[in-house]
Amino acid sequence: MENVMEVKDLRKEFKAYSSRTGLKGAFRDLLTRNYKVIPAVNDINFSVRKGEMVGYIGENGAGKSTTIKMLTGILTPTSGSIIVNGMNPHKEREKFVQTIGVVFGQRSQLWWDIAVQESFRLLKKVYKVSDADYNNHMGHVIRTLDIEPLLDKPVRKLSLGQRMRCELAAALIHNPPLLFLDEPTIGLDVLVKLKIRDFLKEINEKYQTTILLTTHDLSDIEALCERVILLDEGSVIYDGALKNLQEKWSEGKELKFQFLEKVDITAVKVLTSELPVKWELEEKEQVFTATVEDSGELISQVIAKVVAAYKIKDIKINETSTEEIIRNIYEKGAV
Amino acid sequence: MFYISMFFQYISQYIKTRLQYRADIFVEFFSDLLSQAINLVFILVVFGHTDLLGGWSRDEIIFIYGFFLVPFAVFSAFFNIWDFNDRYIVKGELDRILTRPIHSLFQIILERIELEALLGAITGLAVMFYAGSRLGLEMHWYDPFLFIVFVIGGALVYGGVFVMIACISFWADARMSLMPMMYNISNYGRYPVNIYNKLIRFMLTWVLPFAFVGVYPAAFFLGKREWFWYSFLTPVIGVVFFVLSVRLWNQGVTKYRGAGN
Amino acid sequence: MDKYFEMIRIRFLMMLAYRTNYYTGILIYSINIGAYYFLWSAIYGSKEHIVGLSMTQMTTYVAVSWMARAFYFNNLDREMAVEIMDGRVAIELIRPYNYLGMKTMQGLGEGVFRLFFFSAPGLIIVYFIFPIQFTWDPSVWGLFAISILLSFLINTELNLLTGITTFFLYNNSGLIRAKRVVIDLFSGLLLPISFFPGWAQEVMKFLPFQGISYFPSMIVTKGFSHHQALEAILQQFVWVILLFLPIQLLWYFAKKQLIIQGG
Repeated sequence: MENVMEVKDLRKEFKAYSSRTGLKGAFRDLLTRNYKVIPAVNDINFSVRKGEMVGYIGENGAGKSTTIKMLTGILTPTSGSIIVNGMNPHKEREKFVQTIGVVFGQRSQLWWDIAVQESFRLLKKVYKVSDADYNNHMGHVIRTLDIEPLLDKPVRKLSLGQRMRCELAAALIHNPPLLFLDEPTIGLDVLVKLKIRDFLKEINEKYQTTILLTTHDLSDIEALCERVILLDEGSVIYDGALKNLQEKWSEGKELKFQFLEKVDITAVKVLTSELPVKWELEEKEQVFTATVEDSGELISQVIAKVVAAYKIKDIKINETSTEEIIRNIYEKGAV
Repeated sequence: MFYISMFFQYISQYIKTRLQYRADIFVEFFSDLLSQAINLVFILVVFGHTDLLGGWSRDEIIFIYGFFLVPFAVFSAFFNIWDFNDRYIVKGELDRILTRPIHSLFQIILERIELEALLGAITGLAVMFYAGSRLGLEMHWYDPFLFIVFVIGGALVYGGVFVMIACISFWADARMSLMPMMYNISNYGRYPVNIYNKLIRFMLTWVLPFAFVGVYPAAFFLGKREWFWYSFLTPVIGVVFFVLSVRLWNQGVTKYRGAGN
Repeated sequence: MDKYFEMIRIRFLMMLAYRTNYYTGILIYSINIGAYYFLWSAIYGSKEHIVGLSMTQMTTYVAVSWMARAFYFNNLDREMAVEIMDGRVAIELIRPYNYLGMKTMQGLGEGVFRLFFFSAPGLIIVYFIFPIQFTWDPSVWGLFAISILLSFLINTELNLLTGITTFFLYNNSGLIRAKRVVIDLFSGLLLPISFFPGWAQEVMKFLPFQGISYFPSMIVTKGFSHHQALEAILQQFVWVILLFLPIQLLWYFAKKQLIIQGG
């Protein structure tokens, strides 16, 4: 399939100055400053195919926002090339942005003082959307996002969840083939998050909309993206399927037991001494955790032995969460 | 065509918003009126101690001031971007602007439009007619047309210079407020340039050409032949400065650093 | 008291951080002084004196009044309006200090900064460019110092007063602007009060504005005798105390208003 986005050796440097300390330092700053060139995005490469949903993740300051801003034509790259939808975003900005939709979770696209539908009307003109297209497409969007009752309210009176749904609808007015979402679910409650995720999946299927998503909430990524790009200190450290990442980095499974009676940890250890198991006891809640390799056979054996010996109050099988995986990766600094 | 239709779209949105805060419009108008009155008081007090200022009489100076108010009102209505640095650069609102398919400067001008400032033009016209009738000026059929051309030229001079000042924010990394600059630069075109020394006169004509907002075009209506040449340059200077400012803006946008979030 | 000094220091650092403002500020003030100098030369024309001031005194007056303005001027009213409108003032009020006192200290920090790094070098530069005459009598400079400190207090009090009105008005940016132009003219910054017609001078005797710029500038240009100078300072002092009362009163009601609105 065709690539909608191609990024080659993309680099963005910022000139940052460090303030000298104290009053004396401040006076020296008045005349000359200590400048330092910091690469926020450091020669990255990747491409995205049509219809893909890609999660773009990294810690604060890893360069996510900077990349998104270059991809959307807001910032000019220091070097490297970007081709998105067949255009150079910054050079042909006005023509280019006609083909993308952007949602910044922390910044409103809508006009604060006027009713939501007035904002929509204005954006419809801005993007030169015909009445027929608008009614056809937006009718559906408005219904799915359930924002019909909000349309005549001014934006300042909306709750964050309501506003975010309207923002999303606003970004889709011209039905762009490519959608950038920068932290779209920040600060939202679970129900709104679910609604937004379902909606994104739907438009992705219906229109083959390509979606690039940055978020701190990895459950968004798990729910939506098959592919993730992991960024650390301005460099791409992983680009591939989310599943591979999970397989490669998961550290087996955890079996958590709680017993009806008082049990000694050494007794449990003795019980499973022939198997490769590591036991841990959480004293306060009396939760016994066995860490084992991710193999069905082994897990069954451990459970069978324990259950045969003691009465069980509760048992849980946990996989290493994506969050933990990512945390591990960042702690080690490489994939 | 698209840009003209966008212009009216934004205006209609603007009116809807503004109608919610009607009281503000009057407060604004009266505070403008007050500051205009104070400038007139200054002129009147000064002429209590002299008859001529660099060869210009009191009523001529008042006429120039009246004329100046008209392009200034147009400028204030359409170039209300004195908080550009704070709002668009520091708070990063420019991000949003840049994701829309309209020229960024045009969008900002439209978003910040403040039509009520046009009321200042009425004061200006009243002052001009008052001074004009005391001077016994005659009106010719072509005067209204030239007046409009000169007003647009003057407003473009202001707009151009102001956009250029706003562009500093793209390069400078520190916060700065344009308001005091704006407040102060609005003062210089009001007095006849021949009272200044050569260097300042040169500055006010070719570098920061504020003389084209007040004294030069007004000199035409006052029938001061020695200044006609400059009067007719007004629209040219206006267009040149405005075009230059847009060029500079386009350069500046590529230097935009985004708000750190 | 420590915390107030700390506030002055922080403000100092902030002023230094915004160095673009510092440089444009210098530019604006020199342009203003230059423009008024030429305007006054045109007004004087061939006259030696106007209402007792010579052209040299007038030039000195213009330079000194602008440089003094750098000290007493601040945007506290605008800052307060912003803080009140976006609700930050509620946070300020739970902090263990007097909000208005803190604002005053911020203004003082700004003023002291500009006095040393703006007005002082500025005056020296202007001294070499324009025909200005300074007196070398230390007692005159002493009186001037007391006088501009009082100017600062009067101007800051007026700013606080305008700032507090934000609590009661929906949008007071118009009022803030109007106050600014009124002060520029009636404080004597643009032209000495003695230039006004007699009746206007009488009226202004009952207003606090001339204590902001006219008095200190007249003291340095020796437009005032020693005796007049002392009288002027006394008058400034009275205004500082008089303005204190409406501020306290309005502030009392403002805090009540804040509780009702819930910030």
